[in-house]
Amino acid sequence: MSSVNLEVLLQTLISGVLLGGLYALIALGMTIIMGVMKIINLAHGELMMVGMYIAFVLFSWLHIDPYLSVFIAAPALFVLGVGLQKFLINPVMKVDAILPENQVILTVGIGMVLANLATIIFQSDYLQTPVSYATKAWYLTDLWKGAPLELSLSFPWSVSFTIAVLITACLWFFLAKTDTGKSIRATAQDLDAALLMGVNVERMRVITFGLGSALVGAAGCLFIPIYYIYPDIGGQFTLISFVITILGGLGSTVGAILGGLILGLFESLTATYIGMGWAPVGRFMIFVAVLIFIPGGVASLLRSRKFGK
Amino acid sequence: MKHLSLATVFLFLFSVCAMPVLAADTFDLVIPLPLTGKQAKFGEIMKRSYEMAAEEINAKGGVKGKKLALSFEDSAGKPETARAIVEKLIDVKKQPVIVGEYTSACAKAVAAVAEERKTPYLVVASADDAITKQNYKYVFRQNQVNDHYADAFTSFLKEVVKPKTMAILYESSAFGTSGSEAMERDAKKIGAQVVLNEKFETGAIDFKPLLSKVKAAQPEVIYSVSYANEAQLLMKQIKELRIDAKLFAGGAAGFAIPEFIEGAKDASEYVVSATLWTPQLKYPGTKEFAEKYKAKHKDYPSYHGASAYAAIYVTADALTRAKDWTQDGIRDALKATDLKTAFGPVKFEDKEGYQNQNFAETLAIQVQKGEFETIWPKNHASKPYVYPVPSWKERR
Repeated sequence: MSSVNLEVLLQTLISGVLLGGLYALIALGMTIIMGVMKIINLAHGELMMVGMYIAFVLFSWLHIDPYLSVFIAAPALFVLGVGLQKFLINPVMKVDAILPENQVILTVGIGMVLANLATIIFQSDYLQTPVSYATKAWYLTDLWKGAPLELSLSFPWSVSFTIAVLITACLWFFLAKTDTGKSIRATAQDLDAALLMGVNVERMRVITFGLGSALVGAAGCLFIPIYYIYPDIGGQFTLISFVITILGGLGSTVGAILGGLILGLFESLTATYIGMGWAPVGRFMIFVAVLIFIPGGVASLLRSRKFGK
Repeated sequence: MKHLSLATVFLFLFSVCAMPVLAADTFDLVIPLPLTGKQAKFGEIMKRSYEMAAEEINAKGGVKGKKLALSFEDSAGKPETARAIVEKLIDVKKQPVIVGEYTSACAKAVAAVAEERKTPYLVVASADDAITKQNYKYVFRQNQVNDHYADAFTSFLKEVVKPKTMAILYESSAFGTSGSEAMERDAKKIGAQVVLNEKFETGAIDFKPLLSKVKAAQPEVIYSVSYANEAQLLMKQIKELRIDAKLFAGGAAGFAIPEFIEGAKDASEYVVSATLWTPQLKYPGTKEFAEKYKAKHKDYPSYHGASAYAAIYVTADALTRAKDWTQDGIRDALKATDLKTAFGPVKFEDKEGYQNQNFAETLAIQVQKGEFETIWPKNHASKPYVYPVPSWKERR
């Protein structure tokens, strides 16, 4: 392999991992909601859009760096998520309806309302936060003069990726070590058993929805320095996290992280070696293939490995 | 049930009575255009310009004593919505002439409806070649076609750059695809080899894999066709990867609006773009329009605005000359248009396989010190061109 080809490959892998890390964070929120409530939250992308607008407003009015606004957007989205679950989704869950999945339809409605509210408030302009470090990058040849290859690592992408990893680690700690986290996992594993063990399931649902919203709100803040916003941006991210949630194995956090990385790498490699126009085709080919061949997703592969099935 | 039917009767009576009354002293023109969704930015520029032109015409007494009453319908850039709006305008509101829309896909849908219902349709800023190539009798296009978008840019390439290799990146849309095909043909004509011709998805986040491939191919010229956001992301990521070329270029649209410079900042410097119009042109009314727009909205309008502004003048001119305000009357008047506008001279011709097409002069612009400067053709130039552009390392 010539050095040029190697350079292209390495650069592609760097891009893929960075993108995959961010995808994973977006999908995590949808995944934990899926795990606990057994519904797909189709307003997920719109919640991310809300997070992005919060970061945008904080940046343009108060000049708060988008990365710092994670600390404001995430709690705000938590409150929004709790409110949505408490006052909209929980009541609907109790109602007998013709359709068993009427909560899912409700989330579609919530998404539409959010997107249209954003259109009314912000118009459908494309907005950006022109941060000073937007095109800053580290170059291998700057750090090491005699480097045979020129690789670059974008500053905002790396920061976003690092924060995404940190948030994921915090989430893992929360789920594994705290009481509330354990109760959430118990609810996800077996609702009836958790109920019998004295877990307040309804409260866990509320917390989970808040947590899922907070995660995707944080992801919104991480995306804004490298992307742009407009009110209808939600759909594409809902779609990506949906694919990852399926790929990861409905409701598995580890699966979602791996799924995000796989999708990121896959998209980057497709872009380099097949053509960037093929990325959406590839995304849905994965989606269909997973549904047919490994319906349990990555998580089921991990499980069967572990138990030597 | 009784209430309902009563209400319907009232509504019906009201609408029947209301229409002729309203129509008495105004000419209603409903314009379909994208006000939400991805193309909203362009829709906004055009809406402002339509309104400015109508205000000016009304201040001078309107058309044959009637004021132009503009209103807008949002198609969100979706062909099916655009189609539904126009069907309603023609069938229900009996509007005898249609003006507007932006994306090529929408304009195509509208053109088909207009032709079918024998209603003249003036295309304002949609570039896909096919729109005026289908032997439609009622479809007129004021802006230049995609095939010729890059004429001035190509002549700049041919006379100044003389590239041997070239990479073309384009968005997967009707506009992107036809733009890349046109550039491929032009490249062949000037003897440049296209080393890479790649499509990308609208809304893509990460262009770096694609760009690493471009970097490996080392083209002398990188030419991209896309709408607003992708143009900015592409240049930002080109800077990030330090891809050096003798010239970075774009095919109008996203590369020729002020947001390109605001969004891509220093990464936009020295980028050359084809465009159809600049505020620096020496047509009568151009400067006045540009300055008036800037005073009102803080930015210079792009060619979309100028074309929209001129379209109202062209419509008003056709209405003035039309022997009656029927669909055919207005069509015949449009066909005979020969008007000097702020956008340039407008005249609808049948040639090169196009029907009712205005062959406007195109230009090349370059970002210099954060401003668009006209660099080509020489008689319109506001600043000399910078070529070859400095490498990213030198720019720091």
